[in-house]
Amino acid sequence: MGRARRIGLALLGPALALVVALVISGLVIAAIGENPFAALEVITNLGDTPAAQVQSIVVILNRAVPLFLAGLAVSVAFRMGLFNIGVEGQYRLATILSAAVGAAVNLPAPVHVLFIIVVAMLVGAFWAGIVAVLKVTRGVSEVISSIMLNFVALGLAGYLLTGPLKGSPEGAGIVTTAEIPESGRFPDLTGVLTGLGLEEPRSELFGFLVVAVVVGIAISVLLSRTRFGFDLRATGLSPSAATASGVDTRRMVITTMLISGAVAGLIGLPDLLGSDYEYGTEFTAGLGFLGIAVALLGRNSPIGIALAALLFGVLDRAAPLLQFEDIPASVVTIIQGTIVLAVVVGNEIARRLARRSAERAGAAATGAPPDAGDGGGGGGPDLPGGPDGGQRTYTGVPGQPEGVRP
Amino acid sequence: MATAGGPSDRPLQGGADGDGGHPGSELAVELRGITKRFPGVVANRDIELSVRRGEVHAIVGENGAGKSTLMKTLYGMHRPDEGTIVVDGRETVFRSPADAIAAGIGMVHQHFMLADNFTVLENIVLGSEPTRGGRLDMVEARRRINGISARYSLGLEPDALVEELGVGDRQRVEIAKVLYRGARTLILDEPTAVLVPQEVDELFRNLAELKREGLTVIFISHKLDEVRRVADSITVIRRGTTVGTADPKTTTVKQLAELMVGTQLPTPATRESTVRSTVVLRMEGATVRNADGRALVDDVHLTVREGEVVGIAGVEGNGQAELVDAIMGLRPLSSGTLTLGDDDISAWSTRARREAGIGLIPEDRHRQGMLLEAPLWENRILGHQTRPPAVKGPFIDRRGARADTQRIMSEYDVRAPGPDTLAVALSGGNQQKLIVGREMSASPRLLLAAHPTRGVDVGAQAVIWELLKDARAEGLGIVLVSADLDELIGLSDTLHVMLRGRLVATVDPGAVTPEELGGYMTGARTAAGAA
Repeated sequence: MGRARRIGLALLGPALALVVALVISGLVIAAIGENPFAALEVITNLGDTPAAQVQSIVVILNRAVPLFLAGLAVSVAFRMGLFNIGVEGQYRLATILSAAVGAAVNLPAPVHVLFIIVVAMLVGAFWAGIVAVLKVTRGVSEVISSIMLNFVALGLAGYLLTGPLKGSPEGAGIVTTAEIPESGRFPDLTGVLTGLGLEEPRSELFGFLVVAVVVGIAISVLLSRTRFGFDLRATGLSPSAATASGVDTRRMVITTMLISGAVAGLIGLPDLLGSDYEYGTEFTAGLGFLGIAVALLGRNSPIGIALAALLFGVLDRAAPLLQFEDIPASVVTIIQGTIVLAVVVGNEIARRLARRSAERAGAAATGAPPDAGDGGGGGGPDLPGGPDGGQRTYTGVPGQPEGVRP
Repeated sequence: MATAGGPSDRPLQGGADGDGGHPGSELAVELRGITKRFPGVVANRDIELSVRRGEVHAIVGENGAGKSTLMKTLYGMHRPDEGTIVVDGRETVFRSPADAIAAGIGMVHQHFMLADNFTVLENIVLGSEPTRGGRLDMVEARRRINGISARYSLGLEPDALVEELGVGDRQRVEIAKVLYRGARTLILDEPTAVLVPQEVDELFRNLAELKREGLTVIFISHKLDEVRRVADSITVIRRGTTVGTADPKTTTVKQLAELMVGTQLPTPATRESTVRSTVVLRMEGATVRNADGRALVDDVHLTVREGEVVGIAGVEGNGQAELVDAIMGLRPLSSGTLTLGDDDISAWSTRARREAGIGLIPEDRHRQGMLLEAPLWENRILGHQTRPPAVKGPFIDRRGARADTQRIMSEYDVRAPGPDTLAVALSGGNQQKLIVGREMSASPRLLLAAHPTRGVDVGAQAVIWELLKDARAEGLGIVLVSADLDELIGLSDTLHVMLRGRLVATVDPGAVTPEELGGYMTGARTAAGAA
């Protein structure tokens, strides 16, 4: 099978999903009596003047950066077959604590920023680590515990914000933590834009974009080029085979969740260090859940996630603008929701096509029917698909033999 | 279609000339010149098959010989490229299994397709529920199921939950499902693969009942002694085509096997002993318990020397798998010690044991030996993540892994397009050869080979046997677990019998017959030579 064909198949799922999602969303817009093409026009039109266009791009990028980090956090766990739904709680808790700590200390500029980043990663990793420890010691499904810990995290963040970490004056409309001083703020990239000869946008481009790119490359190298990444992916593909190959799956669960949580801890920082400088009741929520959608759409590959995050950024930018056309902003949510649904189905279809085409190639070369374990030619029932469209055939601690108690 | 005209009455019409176990001469199913191609491979070629009404007709052949493809053709799961299917004297074309069912052909799959949380009755009617005025007519369903159960002595309990049933009972539910839909010809795909001996006897009694009632049974198997017990006639398939028919009463197992293989059987026999004095593995008082505290491996003492093949015989489920897991470090020992060379490895991790030179050919290669959806070069790395040539420091050496995979492919005759092919695309034999090549490439001191030739074709089997013999000659210690008694007797230098977690006998592989070995395995014989 040629490389081009494989890449084609890999792109087929998301592309199909996107088309299906747009058609369904179009039908919804038509059903409420508005023009779907007008909506499409709003979404794709970045502005009439160069200044407006640059501004649009900055808004999209600023939105895409946290989404990209959220998608990365989810995908790291996904690749091992772990469903970290707790990214939401992990980043919210990490953001409020790092905001408070960042406001409380006074350090020279680069160290201050670094300090805040480290705190955020540690808090995110800690919160995700609870999920991992529960899973390997008590066999608690990470899906259940991470959802539950989301509630705990949000409650805890709410309590901290109104209680010990409150930094806004008494009686203020919006409760926030104390403001991070100048030295703890991340420099913006607006200078790079103007340096490229572009118009100066009204908003500043988050400098955290650089961190996100570095993290993306690091994760990508870690997963596909290192032994650790191989162990992680092997565990995701087949926990039993990974165990037999010498992977300590319990340790992998813990390490992977710590990495996932550490990346999750970064999600709130672009906004925190780039524009808000404080965590408050108005701080962007829901990025963790959107991260799941972004990871699914990006098929768990860092480049795919980047593209998916940009797409979601484009959609989010359009949300307020749609209202000028009398189209409810929730259309964007509908599009995002249908994308997720469609992408799960699309990924599975693409996976089967890829598998079948691999089997054909194999059969053509060997003259023997492939031993796929489910009846050879794909006629038999397939294994149940996992949340990422991959296979997910276990629920307990991966690799733990039945009946063995620690 | 199944609800029309009370299908439970139908078999009687067909059975008019089939009473008392004397098969009539009329053909229930005839396949003429069936050829089925898949891209790049001819799975079936010029198949000729004649099944008389009211007989049990066995189809035997090696794994991968094309039995399943043929049965899928007959059950309408795909259409043949050439040839005709004749059912009850009429030429028919099946577009789907529904057509086959309408023509009275039913399939009992090897892997049961039952809803666990439904009752027996619900499972049987599922998909062809009798209705009256748009509502389920459970009274009618129950009446017909009880009728089927009584007529064929299936002993069904309509209200039992399927999840509470044993394997044999589930199989009877599957058979009842097919009968309920009015099948007069039943295809049973490897029905005994999942059964214990008593259940096999029970199944054969059921088949006799079906035959007595005039139904036709097509029985697919590669277990030749079972086939000879139950079948009225046998058709042999080799490399995708029918090579002949045999009368089970006059054909020996050996003749059948040679018909299946096409040549003289390759023999696993090793010639002279290569056993050296150095001990590779010593297991003392090893015990493995499950969560309930029951001993799965019970006080096992085992010694493997360089150049020695230590065979473990036993009926499956008597602790052999757990023994292998324990040596590999996949299950903890609850007591006892394990020594590799001079090191006590009882507490070592699986990875440390692999690095110390233990290789594994796992019992279930899909579950433990391969990443099916990963390319071959990644499968080359699996189990050897810490060692060159596939790894450089903390990084994966992609180029090294690809090159070494290419080497394994040519040295071990793994037929695949290239190192980037997904493992799922390979046949069982080629997957197994890759695993053997991979494990050998790390030059292990001890190799655990669990059913190394299970589910591979005869050619690959011979290759794997040769590889094991060569490795043995070079001083590798091998623990061989197998269900193939000839393989065990032929390859082993020392042969232990495992029963209920214990090593109950040690026999001389040069002198023991498969029959005697079978006696030890079931506990019918006991030996003074116990380890």
